[in-house]
Amino acid sequence: MNGLEEMLLELKDTSEFMVDLAYSSLIYDNEEIAQEVIFLADTMEELSARIQDTVIEIGMNKPEEIARIVVATRLQTSIMSIAEAAKSIADVVLRGLGKHPVIAMSIKESETTISLAKVTDDSVLCGKTFGEARLSTQCGMFVIAVKRNREYIFGPGKTMMIEAGDILIAKGPEDGVSCFKDLADGTDKELSF
Amino acid sequence: MADSDDYASLDHVEMTVRELLTEMKDTSEVIVDLAYAALMYNSEDMAEKVNELEKEMDDLKFAIRFKVLMSSRTKEDAKQLSGLLQVASAADKISDSAADIVDLLDLPLERRPFVSAMLYESDEKIRTTRIRPESSIIGYTIGKLGIEASTGCRIIALKNRQGWIYDPEDDVKIRAGDDIIVRGTEDGYKQLVEYATGRKPWEFPEISEDDEVTPQEEAASINDAEEEDG
Repeated sequence: MNGLEEMLLELKDTSEFMVDLAYSSLIYDNEEIAQEVIFLADTMEELSARIQDTVIEIGMNKPEEIARIVVATRLQTSIMSIAEAAKSIADVVLRGLGKHPVIAMSIKESETTISLAKVTDDSVLCGKTFGEARLSTQCGMFVIAVKRNREYIFGPGKTMMIEAGDILIAKGPEDGVSCFKDLADGTDKELSF
Repeated sequence: MADSDDYASLDHVEMTVRELLTEMKDTSEVIVDLAYAALMYNSEDMAEKVNELEKEMDDLKFAIRFKVLMSSRTKEDAKQLSGLLQVASAADKISDSAADIVDLLDLPLERRPFVSAMLYESDEKIRTTRIRPESSIIGYTIGKLGIEASTGCRIIALKNRQGWIYDPEDDVKIRAGDDIIVRGTEDGYKQLVEYATGRKPWEFPEISEDDEVTPQEEAASINDAEEEDG
């Protein structure tokens, strides 16, 4: 894949992540998660501007690529509008309007939930790779992203090392959440294999 | 006052606000997956389902507005319900975007060469697998298996002898030879393939879905089970 496609893909993946996070912020009426959505919306704006520059560049130099440009631009517009929708959901939480019990109840009916957990110094996960930690086997939670120093790493690979201070964002059944949080904050020191 | 005729002219008005919002949220998630899958597999059928869901979403949106406005009595009601309506609008906006995405199928395939390859590389994978006769999940419904809860993979479409079912309900049974299109992490997909091919027997969730237990109780009972194992 070349630059344009890579950027578009990142835009797409981020937009879906934003929707997941936005709905989660509603379930827990959690401003911190809602803030993450807003933060991601800003990174989306930057990325979107870069995509536009690239597309213009391609268009000026290679007019034969016009079909690629049209498709990329149309996809970009749709993706950005999904991101805006996610932002407007997070906005509900930030305005304090997400407290109606029906909201949390409706959103919670789905099978999976998103959970965030910060890895502490004394966590058993610290210094292990995702392959070694096997969080999906341990707790049924699938790590979809890691936040490290304000940077998001989506879809961390098996060989990626977990460090203290990492915020792990995982998707899974509600009953996997406590297991996941306990391992991350050092409450549970045993990995059962 | 709305007379009964006006009332009946709205679709879905028999649903509660809670049911409406649940439906809208779920649809907003699956419709985007379906839209990308339609592009990946160049499927007009899937695109049609996306358009159908999008129209459905419009009906749901009007129904929820109607019900919410009818139920607002006080300033506090209005404040909290405005948040709820905002969420409903956002879900609707997502479905509109999904419909825009499948409109790209109107372009001939050679005009959008990179899209399939690009989508194949997504973080959350859209993948297909076939249920082998040796699989232990055959004969069970999607809901009973709790496939999404166990593997993190959501079945967005299923093809059996009758044809394709998009966004299959929980009561759809898995049969040998079914093809399923799922969306999930690479890890979850690999697990699912193990089950689908029969290389690994399915492990049922310990708590049956029919039992009325709180998530706290569920979490506690699972922790207990783990202690016994250790």
